Amino acid sequence: MAEKTSHDDRPTVQVEGIGLTRPDRQGLEAVILDKVSFSAAKGRITAIVGPSGGGKSSLIRLINRLDDPTAGRILLDGVDIAGLDPLLLRRKVAMVLQRPFMFPGTLLHNLQRPLVYRKEPVPTAESPVVRRTLELARLTPDLLERDARSLSVGQQQRASLARAVITSPPILLLDEPTSALDRPTGDQLAAALQDICRQQEMAVILVTHDLRLAGRIADDLIYLEAGRIREAGPAAEVLAEPASAEFKRFLAEPEEKE
Amino acid sequence: MDNRGLVNLELSNLLLAFALILLAMALSRFQRLGQARKIGWAATRMVVQLLAVGYLLHVVFSVKTPLLVASILVVMAGFSLQVAGSQAKRRMPGFYRVMGSSILAGCGGVTFFFCALVVGYSPWYEPRYLIPLFGMILGNSMQGASLAAERLEAEIGERRDEIETALCLGATPRQAVEAALRNAFSAALIPTLNTMAAMGIVSLPGMMTGQILSGTEPVVAVRYQIAIMCAVSGGVAVTAFLLLMQGYRRYFTPAQQLRRWDES
Repeated sequence: MAEKTSHDDRPTVQVEGIGLTRPDRQGLEAVILDKVSFSAAKGRITAIVGPSGGGKSSLIRLINRLDDPTAGRILLDGVDIAGLDPLLLRRKVAMVLQRPFMFPGTLLHNLQRPLVYRKEPVPTAESPVVRRTLELARLTPDLLERDARSLSVGQQQRASLARAVITSPPILLLDEPTSALDRPTGDQLAAALQDICRQQEMAVILVTHDLRLAGRIADDLIYLEAGRIREAGPAAEVLAEPASAEFKRFLAEPEEKE
Repeated sequence: MDNRGLVNLELSNLLLAFALILLAMALSRFQRLGQARKIGWAATRMVVQLLAVGYLLHVVFSVKTPLLVASILVVMAGFSLQVAGSQAKRRMPGFYRVMGSSILAGCGGVTFFFCALVVGYSPWYEPRYLIPLFGMILGNSMQGASLAAERLEAEIGERRDEIETALCLGATPRQAVEAALRNAFSAALIPTLNTMAAMGIVSLPGMMTGQILSGTEPVVAVRYQIAIMCAVSGGVAVTAFLLLMQGYRRYFTPAQQLRRWDES
């Protein structure tokens, strides 16, 4: 792996004035996101927190263009992603969805998938990239030949993290990575995530309603409620001294885990 | 060769055959199985439709211009397209265009190859051969393509997590739906493959039976049957393939996003 390069101060991801509306059951336009702007820098973890239904998941799905916004734009290294080939974009902006999906086959097959999609040579179980990725994700090499679907939920969650970062993408998006995990397993994932972010200099954007996770690993924090950003800033600061009434209320009564 | 020729069925023979239908109706009436009216209606429809087709074919077989023959084939394809469309529970976006073009190219291409090159009578568009052959290829291909379309719809609906996971890992839409396509193609082929595997042991195919009954030497009838099964399999495979290759794209936006369920 390359040595740490000097910090580029320009944010890697800039979200500018994003709006998203979608017709609801009555055919009326429901506002999912409204004038959302923030940026995420490499080597930092940005946590988007808020109650469920607040638009968090809808928001990160826009960053690798699983969906497109109805207003505003998203820049990647200064380039509007609307003009990029979605395939090439997604090969730079990896994403781990909420429910970890393991493809049929072994863990190794699952780790090889992204390279198969890129028609690149697939790494073997002994290759350094597989070993290093396993280590980062807190998985052991003896799991490689196991049927991926027989792994525990926590292992599957870390396996999908490993699978997403095996190609060293500059940006990583995660949707509720710990929602299905108990506390020790969630902590393992959080530690893995922190290592990956630091060592691979990734910009990590993480959606969660788990304040404990956000407080533990996030550098920056964004509080999203009813489609709007109510609070944003360095995680330690906003958690210690929230400014908005909405975020204070959320901190006082965080939602139970789904 | 001993050729006993055709046993012509007289009207009296037909009436006797109809006694079997009456028997079926009587059985269900006496046992209160409640199917008598259905049987009667189905039998009546069959008679009327077949008589109509018999006279229609009589007229059609006298057609000698290729353009007219071609338009008959298009009408046949149109009817089967309509049947397939009305039977599908959920239709993929752009169903008729996808299905119609696959049928025309798949069945048309295979029928032309078969009639012009394999059988090689002249003129190749002789309706007496072309129309029944096209009908057979069309019927099977339509069934196969419908199964493929239905299965693709179900597979993509069930595999949303899998497909989006693949997209997130840098897959093209084609790579992301690979498993769905494989299952849909297999669903299309299974009836034809089963028929081929059972042929001659479990069942004697209708056309071969008909040929033998009307006096053709069994070995000749068998050769025909083999050739036709090849054409039918080819038609089913090509049509289902074309349908799937066009069809999966309908589930994605131009930006390679899996369409939301409510918009597809």
